[in-house]
Amino acid sequence: MADAMSSIAINGGTEPSRSSRWGATPWAWLLLPGTIFLLVLFVVPLAGLLLLSLGMPNWTLANFIRIGGNPAYIAVMRTTLEISVSVTVIAFFLSYPIAYALTTGGPTLRTFLLIAVVLPYFTSVLARTFAWVVLLGRNGVINNILLELGWTTQPVTMLYNRFGVLLGMTHIVMPLMILPMYTVMSGIDQKLLRAARANGASPLAAFLTVFLPLSLPGLIAGVLLVFIYCLGFYITPALMGGLSDVMITMEISSQVVDQLNWNFGSALAMVLLVAVLAVLWIGSRFFPIEQLLGFSDRSGASETISRQQMGTQWFMRLGAVANVLDRWLPSLGGRSIPTLASFLAVLLLLPVVIVAYLSFSDSSYFVFPLPGYSLRNYEAFLSDASWMRGTVTSIRIALMAAGMATALGSMLAFGLSRGGIPGRGAMIALVLSPIIMPTVVVAVATYFLLVRAGLQGTEFGLALGHAVHAIPYVVVVVVANLRDLNPTYERAARSLGAGPLATFRTIIAPLVMPALIVASFFAFLTSFDDVVYVLFLGIGKITTLPMRMWEGIRQDINPTIAAVATLQMFFAGAVIMTATLLRRKKDN
Amino acid sequence: MLMRTNLSGTDVKTGSIALHSLQKRYGSAVAVDDVSLSVSPGEFISLLGPSGSGKTTTLMMIAGFEQPDSGQVLLDEKDITRLPPHRRELGVIFQNYALFPHMTVAENVAYPLRMRRVARAEVEARVRRILDQVHLGALASRRPHQMSGGQQQRVAIARALVFDPPVLLLDEPLGALDKKLREHLRSEIKTLHKEVGKTMVYVTHDQDEALAMSDQVAVMHEGRIRQVSAPQDLYRRPADLFVASFVGEVNLIPVKLKSGIAYGPAGEKLPAARWPDADRDATVCVRPEHLRLDTGAAASLHAIQGRIVGRTFVGDATIFEFRSDSGLQLTSKVLNISIETMLDVGDVCAASWNANDATILTE
Repeated sequence: MADAMSSIAINGGTEPSRSSRWGATPWAWLLLPGTIFLLVLFVVPLAGLLLLSLGMPNWTLANFIRIGGNPAYIAVMRTTLEISVSVTVIAFFLSYPIAYALTTGGPTLRTFLLIAVVLPYFTSVLARTFAWVVLLGRNGVINNILLELGWTTQPVTMLYNRFGVLLGMTHIVMPLMILPMYTVMSGIDQKLLRAARANGASPLAAFLTVFLPLSLPGLIAGVLLVFIYCLGFYITPALMGGLSDVMITMEISSQVVDQLNWNFGSALAMVLLVAVLAVLWIGSRFFPIEQLLGFSDRSGASETISRQQMGTQWFMRLGAVANVLDRWLPSLGGRSIPTLASFLAVLLLLPVVIVAYLSFSDSSYFVFPLPGYSLRNYEAFLSDASWMRGTVTSIRIALMAAGMATALGSMLAFGLSRGGIPGRGAMIALVLSPIIMPTVVVAVATYFLLVRAGLQGTEFGLALGHAVHAIPYVVVVVVANLRDLNPTYERAARSLGAGPLATFRTIIAPLVMPALIVASFFAFLTSFDDVVYVLFLGIGKITTLPMRMWEGIRQDINPTIAAVATLQMFFAGAVIMTATLLRRKKDN
Repeated sequence: MLMRTNLSGTDVKTGSIALHSLQKRYGSAVAVDDVSLSVSPGEFISLLGPSGSGKTTTLMMIAGFEQPDSGQVLLDEKDITRLPPHRRELGVIFQNYALFPHMTVAENVAYPLRMRRVARAEVEARVRRILDQVHLGALASRRPHQMSGGQQQRVAIARALVFDPPVLLLDEPLGALDKKLREHLRSEIKTLHKEVGKTMVYVTHDQDEALAMSDQVAVMHEGRIRQVSAPQDLYRRPADLFVASFVGEVNLIPVKLKSGIAYGPAGEKLPAARWPDADRDATVCVRPEHLRLDTGAAASLHAIQGRIVGRTFVGDATIFEFRSDSGLQLTSKVLNISIETMLDVGDVCAASWNANDATILTE
């Protein structure tokens, strides 16, 4: 997704092929398989969830009344809201300097910042959460250091309380905040800032009157994405939160999995779903949601700018004040912002790096610094039958899911790009919703469906769920690539005597292949890293690699997990590298 | 210069194109409206017009990428209106050339032959021959992005000619290039046309290009063809106000035609051919280089009285801004052959021209 998000290309000079603007083309048929797949495995389950929450077959609103009337559930809602708002606010202020420096900094700084944002983003949530557990625990790295330095006499409690949850979640959502910010910011013409300066604005005033208002759509998008993600966040709060920090996702899980109270769990899930939809709806007043995921027919900037006419006056006033105060304000220029951004980026990378470092320990405990280097954790991983079984299971499921998602997703991408169908916006919304809707809700809904089909606890059933989740990533990557694929190439081929099939074989397929490879890698990665779907769809029968990690983190914080997390990180890094190389090869 | 030997053995008799009342709508907008045109074999015709005038749509209907709502496209008297593009055997050179980025130059040029299942040995021979002819033999294994704009154009030309189509369609091939290169490539295309003798249909919005290269120019505006003429006629005898002002600079003088004679805004008699038809209002158009400004005795009887209000030196010529006593603004262009009798701002003078340099337009 980052790949596509950071490359929302403004449409090239050529006007879109006219025939695609008027009426459906034969490409539209390609929408059919993917749409049916999503209808059956995404829309139907969610509808079923609604019916269950209404007490099907004994219709009642009792479940919702129970949620509204019970102080315990009200408290869960309040906790969820408190944590989500706090994390969003903290992440916003920490992300802005990074996104800003990522846009305006020199090439070296930008490369470093991009790595610091993208590497954690593609490292699994589980691995990153594990990093924080290792860092913050009673005998964790940070307490180790504090005691060593004599700053405290006994370990500070940082884990299993509100502090730990906020820290861990903020760290995990920051890339999600930074990428849309950066996408919009990098589209701002730097000449505009010079024009502002030439017209008498101080650097701060130029920032306030030009850069900030123009970056607003990206800020809104980032805040929106992060807030929605927080509302439906499960893994990190479940692993790092204390007993009093029960979020709604944890309550849903406990109702459905532990207490087998499907109707009430469904009602809770519906509450979460409605909350997310409401936030999205409000957000879409300010920002076209599909645009932040890489779908834009036009640059769209002009449209969003015109929507901000009201805000502009306010920014102008602020800028004028800043201009007057310019002489007395400390200079914001120079090295201060790059330095701050670099510092924050180091913090973003640090947990991941420390876990990689600890994985090479020769001790069976987490000791910092390492008493000595060895590969014993890796040996432990490779020689342990349960770890290896989990790995093989994960690969098997991820291959199935990636295969389905790549085939269906690329067909959807072609249909969306070239189909010229009416109601394209609704199609895009359907295709993208699986990653926007809270994973827990979708997983629970899919679980109910699989139970009816008798597929619960089967690897195929799990792969179906993963495929639904991976399709949006495939579509976004392939659509971005198709937008770059100039239709003139196809026309040239046709004029040179190639029929439609020959054109597809000799021109389209080779040009789209790199994107398909990248897309299938990402699809593989989303399945390979997932733990939420496994928790619900696996019903304890399937132990994938992340599932084994999950259990490991909950029971004993085993150093072998560090080795697994590091391997996952390297795998993610390799995928990013491949994607970058393929992209570069194409650009040259 | 570009092609020393004849690129093809095409019989010059083939390659005629005829368009019969082509019509194309997009929703409620009419892109091409009742366009008819006939192009003789070996002719170089330009479709000239501003953007949105329907010229590219017309070309794409000839190429087969757009289907006309009504009307016919004929190639050598055969109806090809419903033929898919890859069966039309027309060479197309696209804007930005559309060289396949994932193929080498040689593979690009071989493409049309491979699609026609030409034997591999012959493909190689023909590709090598045509690349040598466009002086790109040494660069055959390069990729398109490693080449300059001029080299890319030659690859595009080689690719469009290698299968020996009777007609070449060119869609603003020089659009994206800088001025110097454009002039150079313009002459290369012109030379190419002389040497291969193929029919060429060239779409451009650049009037200089159209005038310099074509045998015939079809001026298009709002989906219609306004005039088809040889370049000199187009410039000297524009058919309507749009053509007059789109091609070159022009002075438009409102006149009243009474008993065959043109009267200017102040009622003065103006030089123009005798008007054979009924009395009416009209416009006389005169090119700036045909507009004479004379003082005192030299001033002709049939002239507009006024004064010089501006003078701009542009190197080879001087541009005078003239304002008549009735408020009409005219431009005169005088070549800087001698500087003796140069008028200056404020000078009172009379504007006139030879009757056969003026065109009367009534629309």
